[in-house]
Amino acid sequence: MEKWRVIDTGLRSAAQNIALNRALLEARQAEEIPSTLRFLRFTPSALLGYHQSAEQELNLDYCRAHGVEVQRRITGGGAIYFDETQIGWELYLHKRDVGTTDMQAIARRICHAAATAISVLGVDARFRPRNDIEVDGRKISGTGGAFDGNALLFQGTLLIDFDVEKMLRVLRIPAEKLSDKAIASARERVANLKELLGRQPDVALVKSYIVEAFESEFGVEFSDGDLTLSEHARYQGALREIETPDWVHLVTRPLSDMPILEAAQKFPGGLLRASVTFDTGTQTIRQVWFTGDIFVSPRRTVADLEAVLRDLPIGRLASRIEEFFARRPVDMLSLTPNDFLTVVRLALKQPLLAHNP
Amino acid sequence: MECNGCEFRPELYYDRDYQIWVRIEEHGLLAVGMTDISQTIAGKILHVRVRKPGTPRPAGKPVATIESGKWAGPVPNLFDCTIVAANHEVLDTPGLLNAQPYDAWIARVQPAAPPHEALSALLTGEAAWAGYRARCLRDDIRCKRI
Repeated sequence: MEKWRVIDTGLRSAAQNIALNRALLEARQAEEIPSTLRFLRFTPSALLGYHQSAEQELNLDYCRAHGVEVQRRITGGGAIYFDETQIGWELYLHKRDVGTTDMQAIARRICHAAATAISVLGVDARFRPRNDIEVDGRKISGTGGAFDGNALLFQGTLLIDFDVEKMLRVLRIPAEKLSDKAIASARERVANLKELLGRQPDVALVKSYIVEAFESEFGVEFSDGDLTLSEHARYQGALREIETPDWVHLVTRPLSDMPILEAAQKFPGGLLRASVTFDTGTQTIRQVWFTGDIFVSPRRTVADLEAVLRDLPIGRLASRIEEFFARRPVDMLSLTPNDFLTVVRLALKQPLLAHNP
Repeated sequence: MECNGCEFRPELYYDRDYQIWVRIEEHGLLAVGMTDISQTIAGKILHVRVRKPGTPRPAGKPVATIESGKWAGPVPNLFDCTIVAANHEVLDTPGLLNAQPYDAWIARVQPAAPPHEALSALLTGEAAWAGYRARCLRDDIRCKRI
């Protein structure tokens, strides 16, 4: 059976962890190391996706005042808050390990395996397209990937315990006011193992399940290892580039190009509010949060709708909402799919009003 | 010309994995873009970033990076060059790379060597078509425009 390596690089700063991402991906690309599973932890950090801008995604004043390190990942996806209460897992693979060239299929396969590992603990974890792993509509693991030539890095978080309020303060997400309602609404969208299990999970056990799930998925056997000399050398080189303001601010876009727009409307089915993070340059909805005094069953419908509206050009909004509701039975009393469309469109009108008072 | 629905243009120049195409432009410049194979493998492209005009790019250092479905990675570069311009239409609407891969150029570059010399390691015409077809069939790549 093919042998892959598992390493645990412990608690580190974001710059060190990301320099290790670069080092291991390069080493895998150069065929200096076997395919590898790495576990890692972070001191408090706000991590941008590779193409994101710190100004648009983070509350930088808060990060500065509270010692939250701001860093840029080499992987795609959205900004996350990462601290000691989460663990990270990462796979460094060669394209021939995954048996397909379809990048979305690769992400799906890895996420399914990770979800299986989490489910063994006694929670019903599943992959939700757009690369999140969720439990009953609540995100428990966010993921992202990077490729370089024939090498792939796919990484995920796993929320063992989680400070939702801190996340709300660090990230610029569509719930700007730090009201109890905003915190409650964030809690509906993220889950952590401690809360779901009603006890502190045994992290060593969690890791062993993750190892077993990937062994079974890829038909390989993992053995413990350490960083090699070539990885150390590559790491030192990468850290010199990554631990700099130039790297963190590699992409800068003004805050004004990505407003958070809000609207609320009373429908016969109840009050529905939409907060929309909108990229005015590409005319794309980055993220929507729906809240309000509404009844929707199953409960996870709203979270699923928010997931399919991520990174959506506004031209496709109406058809995406229509397709979403056409595909599933939903009980919303007198609320209609069109009400969701109406309230998002209302929110999107806000910048026009601002520019043309 | 096409194979498995993957369009091929014989007048362009390609790398050996058929990830990128290169077109000869006026004034000794070259345009670089992604092939139909590449855009299919990537899936819907959400971000494109091109280095600033004037940035030198040695062979092996990417001219651009792309992101699709949370995967970020380089658009490879095969010859020593300097970035002259980014295609702002593509920066604003990255989905053009999926919809019109051969019209949506990503960057214009000035090769350090004369164009024919810079392109000497790339494939074109019949040789490129044979390799392109072989790649589609070997990896069972079926192209779709998203």
